[in-house]
Amino acid sequence: MTGPGGVIGRRQVRNEDARLLTGRALFVDDVRLPGMLHVAFLRSEHAHGRLRMVDGSAARRRPGVVAVYTAPDLGDAWRPGPLLVAPVPVPGAVFHEATQVPLARDKVRHCGEPIAMVVADSRYLAEDALGDIVADIEPLEAVVELEAALRAGAPLVHDHLGSNLAAHVVQRKGDWARARADADHLVARRFHYDRGAAAALENRGIVAHWDARAEELTVWDTTQAPIPIRNGLAQMLGLSQSQVRVVAPFIGGGFGPKIMMFYPEEVCLAWAALHLGRPLKWIEDRQENFTATTQERAQIHDAELAVTRDGRILGVRDRFLHDCGAYDTYGLTIPINTQCTLLGLYDVPSYESEFSVVFTNRTLVTPVRGAGRQHGVFVMERLLDIAARGLGLDPVEIRRRNYLRPDQFPHDHGILFQDSAPLVYDSGDYLPALEQAAAMIGYDRFKREEQARARAGGRHLGVGIVSYVEGTGIGPYEGARVTVEPGGTVHVATGVGTQGQGHYTSFAQIVAQSLGVDPAVVEVTTGDTRVFGWGTGTFASRGAVVAGSACHEAARRVRSKVLALASELLAVPVSALALEQGRVFVRAEPARGLSLGDLAGRANPLRGAVKPGTEPGLEATAYFGPDRGSTASGVHAILVEVDPETAMVKVLRYVVVHDCGTVINPAIVEGQIQGGVAQGIGNAFFEQLKYDEHGQLLNASFMDYLLPTSLDVPAVEIAHGHTASPLNPLGAKGVGEAGCIPTGAAFAQAIDDALGPLGLEIREIPLSPSRLFELIEAARLGATARASRDGAAVRPAAPAGETA
Amino acid sequence: VIVQGTYSFNGTRQAVWDLLLDADVIGHAMPGAKRLDRVAPDRYEGLMHVGIGPITAAEFTLVIALRDLDAPRSYVMEVDGRGRFGFTRGTAEVTLHHDGPATTMSYRADLMVGGKIASVGQRLLDTVSRMLTRRGLDAVASELTRRLEALQPSEQERSGDDAGGPAA
Repeated sequence: MTGPGGVIGRRQVRNEDARLLTGRALFVDDVRLPGMLHVAFLRSEHAHGRLRMVDGSAARRRPGVVAVYTAPDLGDAWRPGPLLVAPVPVPGAVFHEATQVPLARDKVRHCGEPIAMVVADSRYLAEDALGDIVADIEPLEAVVELEAALRAGAPLVHDHLGSNLAAHVVQRKGDWARARADADHLVARRFHYDRGAAAALENRGIVAHWDARAEELTVWDTTQAPIPIRNGLAQMLGLSQSQVRVVAPFIGGGFGPKIMMFYPEEVCLAWAALHLGRPLKWIEDRQENFTATTQERAQIHDAELAVTRDGRILGVRDRFLHDCGAYDTYGLTIPINTQCTLLGLYDVPSYESEFSVVFTNRTLVTPVRGAGRQHGVFVMERLLDIAARGLGLDPVEIRRRNYLRPDQFPHDHGILFQDSAPLVYDSGDYLPALEQAAAMIGYDRFKREEQARARAGGRHLGVGIVSYVEGTGIGPYEGARVTVEPGGTVHVATGVGTQGQGHYTSFAQIVAQSLGVDPAVVEVTTGDTRVFGWGTGTFASRGAVVAGSACHEAARRVRSKVLALASELLAVPVSALALEQGRVFVRAEPARGLSLGDLAGRANPLRGAVKPGTEPGLEATAYFGPDRGSTASGVHAILVEVDPETAMVKVLRYVVVHDCGTVINPAIVEGQIQGGVAQGIGNAFFEQLKYDEHGQLLNASFMDYLLPTSLDVPAVEIAHGHTASPLNPLGAKGVGEAGCIPTGAAFAQAIDDALGPLGLEIREIPLSPSRLFELIEAARLGATARASRDGAAVRPAAPAGETA
Repeated sequence: VIVQGTYSFNGTRQAVWDLLLDADVIGHAMPGAKRLDRVAPDRYEGLMHVGIGPITAAEFTLVIALRDLDAPRSYVMEVDGRGRFGFTRGTAEVTLHHDGPATTMSYRADLMVGGKIASVGQRLLDTVSRMLTRRGLDAVASELTRRLEALQPSEQERSGDDAGGPAA
């Protein structure tokens, strides 16, 4: 798709930035309607409890309070939310469905779960009135720890299910037992990954307005999935889909939690707006966000790697627990991502992966940027690092020996991916990315000279180099409509919402390429169901791939219409025409031509007759649904300095070589990577949601929950690979999550490397200075013990040592 | 949150025991207590204000039930505090030991704290709990001194300034 002078691939300034930077972009909280009331929610402060009684009568009496609703008030609208993603049909898989409810009725199952809703003249009054509500909750023992949750006699999150097991899935390929028996070297370890928050700049927000004259419900919502929200609300409220309009305007970051549906607040506001006939607004505050917006990441893995003497992978076995929180609305997406992404870029002949999903009394877990992929990458990359150490191989070398070769694509891994399609990699060329990343970070020279020199000077520097794949651009489909307006501007409408990805620019570039216009004159509307009503949403790094391909196809069809009309009006064959700079002209006679705007006007005549079989206007709608996702890949290299006394880690350099096929706009791809790395660094070393044994979140503010700052995140050095995907006309692959997927693994390898003589082995993410300090101390003790035992393997807190 | 320690009172075990079970004394000694009433021989109800970090004036209704009373040696308090900004529940075990003419109290409270107090105040919870406990016991100790002085001024004069004071 790229070519000299092409618009696709150009480093284009973003069309939306002028609006964003001058404060003219509409966000949900900017919506202010006459007569609008404000909503606050009473939330459970117990992680687990029996809700015996809720009394809102005192709150109702408070001046300025318009209504107080509890679960029984919702009537038929009170029902558990839909299962968002049907479980992947793996034979023998077990799945117990339990989805969230709008307001808690008999039980509360996590801190932050809404119990009652207050509608008042102002948010202040609504908040004050929350204190008037009496909620009688009998506290129950909380389910927090994953292994304890599955033991017999554990308290039950969902009494009717009889256990806390939400799902159990086994996927296999090859013959693990054989691989294990044939191995020269086995590595078995336990790995931990803990929870983090998406921490979007903008919290969630909803404005709902029922227009009784138009009989139309409009909902402005910070959702990543406006069309499914419209469809669901219509069904729930007994309205037709055309009576509901959902607008997802500019959104200050999605990262996954905003794809969740339904959040209780979405149901409650829409229902109450209809019920009261008044516009309602609720804007989530940061404190609410910490417990009411979905989170991700707690998993415990027991993994084993079988390799030959020269480091070739024979097989992997992994058993893991995945914490889905109090409800499993998002199906199996995250653990399946983990299961599939573990295989990475490697040729793994035998694989046996089993996971159990566990209900806990914690906030729901739904995908957060990376969506379980980072767990799989962490486990595999660490296993390889540990095996390399055991075999006396360099970490780069063991990867080099196991990458899939270009002639092995498409590569069928023999298991199912999150979209229920077989996990087949479409294309890839991995080795050049590894060599390039190693060259960019100066890997060989660092290992040969610089590290020792730094250490002689008292500095502990370490390098990490890890690789990953990212399954992206999955179906089912997206659509787009492209219209040339008589003024000469081109309008693109698509159903996906936008949360900062640069859709206004990427889609404009795709359309501009086909229509021969400047991308700056292409206006894009996203996320307004009234403008475009078909599609699913922005998730799984699929916007550019799936909606982008639909834009491309629609633009191509409009191009055909433009040329056909011009050919007729100019009385020359289409082949004699050129379309450039917003104008169609006769190639041999450039002065003879018509502007796109003129053609649009001529295509929509006021008199005369439109020929049978043709359509007025220069407009086309197209849909694109890929058979399966395209697999992006990359290598991250990191250089860190560790202070062994304070356990502070400073990232000195960060290199990413990323291959997302066709690059539509390098600046946007680099922005995605830089932002992803920032989030990955937070995940690796700063951010951790700390729950106590009662399910109380202990760091629900940015005083205690540490986000990385600009001082902690270096400017990422980026290079692009260009292995086109054969699965879509653009050749594109997604890039939305790439930056944060392997960051934890890169940190772990680099820290181990920096503190090499200690024999440190990082097996958990997130770290923090204090946690790393503990690990360093334990390693010191271990090193002492090892020395005194004459080399016997001692790894404190390790459940299993090297077994071969 | 676990709060534990010992505290030395310059008075007899019976005198300390009487003070500790006197709602009026405790109501005044407890930092932030607005009210404490003995509603039954083994049950107190009250209202207190606590500030922890960013939460500056959290109001709690407080119910304290006593059990396993073994006068004047030991008892257990069941604490149940609820407010707009969170809750606390748990037990506190109190034991009084002879220590010559003085009495040593050992205490151990195991409290579950939830809601905003836990989620934004967690960092300060330990220190604030310890500080409040110590301040409360200091206040009980000065009340003890005051009472003993009122009863036996001459004896107290002889013992000088050694009355009370934390031992741990």
